[in-house]
Amino acid sequence: MAQSRPAVGLLYNPATPDLVQHAPNLVEYIAAMPDRLWFDFGPQAPGRRFHRTLGAIEELQRVSRGRLLSGHGIGMSLPSAIPLDEEFVRAVATMSADLGGFHWYSEHLSVFITPKGSVPNAQAGLGLPVVYDDEEFEIVSNKLKHVKEMLRCPLLLENGSFFTPVPDMDMSEPAFLNRLHAEGHCETLLDLHNLYVCWRNGGPPPPDYIEELDSGAVMEIHLGGGDDFAGFYMDSHSSLTPPEVWRWAFDYAPRFKKLRAITFEFQETYYERLGAEALVSELERMHELAASCKVESEAAYAG
Amino acid sequence: MLADFQQALADLTGSPELCSHARRDPTVLTQKYRLTEREWSRLVGIISHRGMECACIVYRANRLAPLALNIPETCKALGPELRAVVSEFWATFPETNVHFFIETDRFCRFLQAKIAEGRTFGADVGVVLARESAAVAAALQESYTERS
Repeated sequence: MAQSRPAVGLLYNPATPDLVQHAPNLVEYIAAMPDRLWFDFGPQAPGRRFHRTLGAIEELQRVSRGRLLSGHGIGMSLPSAIPLDEEFVRAVATMSADLGGFHWYSEHLSVFITPKGSVPNAQAGLGLPVVYDDEEFEIVSNKLKHVKEMLRCPLLLENGSFFTPVPDMDMSEPAFLNRLHAEGHCETLLDLHNLYVCWRNGGPPPPDYIEELDSGAVMEIHLGGGDDFAGFYMDSHSSLTPPEVWRWAFDYAPRFKKLRAITFEFQETYYERLGAEALVSELERMHELAASCKVESEAAYAG
Repeated sequence: MLADFQQALADLTGSPELCSHARRDPTVLTQKYRLTEREWSRLVGIISHRGMECACIVYRANRLAPLALNIPETCKALGPELRAVVSEFWATFPETNVHFFIETDRFCRFLQAKIAEGRTFGADVGVVLARESAAVAAALQESYTERS
């Protein structure tokens, strides 16, 4: 029977198959990161650049069978002031086709690759904040056009977790995301835990952020938890979703009429510490959240 | 220009020393990078924010991850010297390579070169490094053979 709610799922990692075994009916959706399923030897590599980790891909194929599947990456680093890495996008497209087609593909609205890196695939070490102005809008929107042509599926951009806000910007992050959506470039992946991280480290109150965001743009929500370290709150994906994040999720998710998925992220090295039982409870609560959302028919999870 | 702004932000995040230097003397930013007045002012605001310390911590933690994962015994054998060695390594190679085995192999070669130059470390470092670096080199070689 067709349903009118978003799907519930997980960001795929090596511990996911075990968790899915504990609760196969609670996991309807898998978000897979191509960046973690291959070795990337960089654009200057002699011979082939991408070498897949075959065992991991076979396992993902097995786990994602019969489930909604999307791609979720960091490697495009769309806001970087460098040309689009088309070879990378082609590799994502090939992987998508081999996995039966991503229903959508999401990337982060963060700078991961530095413009003047001295090694192939130089990365900044963590996601750096973006300056929201017309110049950046042109960079991101032009790249999104190309990516959309190459991947042929809806694209989403995710809000990042930053420790240092950029002063004196021309537009806010929600305004930037709203404009991308209004001009048809992409939808929004709203990471509620990232908002929590920013807020805990001195950023804006998440409800203000969400109120400013176009509710019709949000296609996926991320949940997750972090931990305190050296007086800061880290986006470590090491714990369950904090109560405040749950509250915002229940307050706001029912407004997102195009919401297709609610996703929990955890880091596999914390799997044993978190415990499958607690994660199954998390999935059950995510189903309660999904049941509270009545979405438009094209977004609904068909079950 | 935006490319220089982004590079400056990455460099500052990767180097607490550069951050401190720029806090004391913000003109260092315009000496090293081509920045508009507004970009310079944004960078000065960012490095003055308390969160910059956290960004630097996360950068270092992320860079340490492949080493802790692939050569844990070498990290352990280095003990208190680990901090100084990785700082030197990161200053020499400011950008992370996303391929964990390439990144770790690069560190192993860096450490082996230091030993060859006559630098002394804890008693076990040479032996443990030889074993773990060989395993990393083998894993790196194997990663080349995976099909696409």
